Amino acid sequence: MSISGMRKAGTSLTVLGLLGLVGVYWLSFFWVPTEVSQGVAQRIFYVHVPAAWTSFLAFGLCALVSGMYLWLRDERLDRAAVAAAEGGMVFATIMLTTGPLWGRIAWGTYWTWEPRLTLTLLLWFIFLGYFMVRSSSENPEKGKRFAAVVAIVGALDIPFIHLSVIWFRSLHPQPVVVKPEGPTLPGDMLTLLLLSLAVFTVLFFGLFLLRYALEGVRAGLDERARRDSVPVSS
Amino acid sequence: MIRISPMSRPIVLLSSVALVAVTSLPAWAQEAAMPAAGLARQSLRPYWHVFIAYAIAIVLVLAWVMSISRRLRDVEDRLEG
Repeated sequence: MSISGMRKAGTSLTVLGLLGLVGVYWLSFFWVPTEVSQGVAQRIFYVHVPAAWTSFLAFGLCALVSGMYLWLRDERLDRAAVAAAEGGMVFATIMLTTGPLWGRIAWGTYWTWEPRLTLTLLLWFIFLGYFMVRSSSENPEKGKRFAAVVAIVGALDIPFIHLSVIWFRSLHPQPVVVKPEGPTLPGDMLTLLLLSLAVFTVLFFGLFLLRYALEGVRAGLDERARRDSVPVSS
Repeated sequence: MIRISPMSRPIVLLSSVALVAVTSLPAWAQEAAMPAAGLARQSLRPYWHVFIAYAIAIVLVLAWVMSISRRLRDVEDRLEG
């Protein structure tokens, strides 16, 4: 796909995602029933959980293409990795800020150093390190390789985040959708959660394509600068 | 303009604090007498948290959209220039 095609597709998906997000908010306030034990605060779930899933998808994608970059040394894979990592950071920040807002109502505290929360914060810091490694290295190629390793190590944290509530004594609620015996969430709530998940995923891929296109245009600019700096031999 | 001499400034400050305290006393008394007001505020808190959470999500996504479009425009301007 050309860069202009990617921009068009990215813009369309982003607009669709933003409209979908407005729809999810509307359904969350006017359609889905209020959960009996947690009350209104449970509605944070429709933003918090999809943001978490999308950030894991983004970081997982980043680790996958980073591994392929280390193997094939194709610059397009590195561009895809940085685009996915940036998206992962945005959605992880949404997850890490909306979760404590729910926690204050449900647990009486914004933050507690329990396994899932601690491992998620660790993931956020690992990917913050990903950007620091990229930007602080004097040799850009070396920086990209080191960052790729950081992304792979960071993604190894994701399964532990999911399993931490099962393995350890945890305050965080147990999974209600991804579990061996199937989802235990009531129908309307599950429908809205899956819709919200689809909307967040569309938003991520729309913005991922736009971010990837940006890296493509930057690479073209760098290429032109390199060409202009090389003296033409007569 | 009212001029306050340096000597009387602490007195003015103290009397201002006292005035604020006295005028807000009825509000405190009302709060103590009517626990329902406190309860109403307590029950509104989850709504505020939901609104803030939803606002954070949309603000962060829009900030990313604007950041990407600004960077794309800058790079394209440099490419054309």
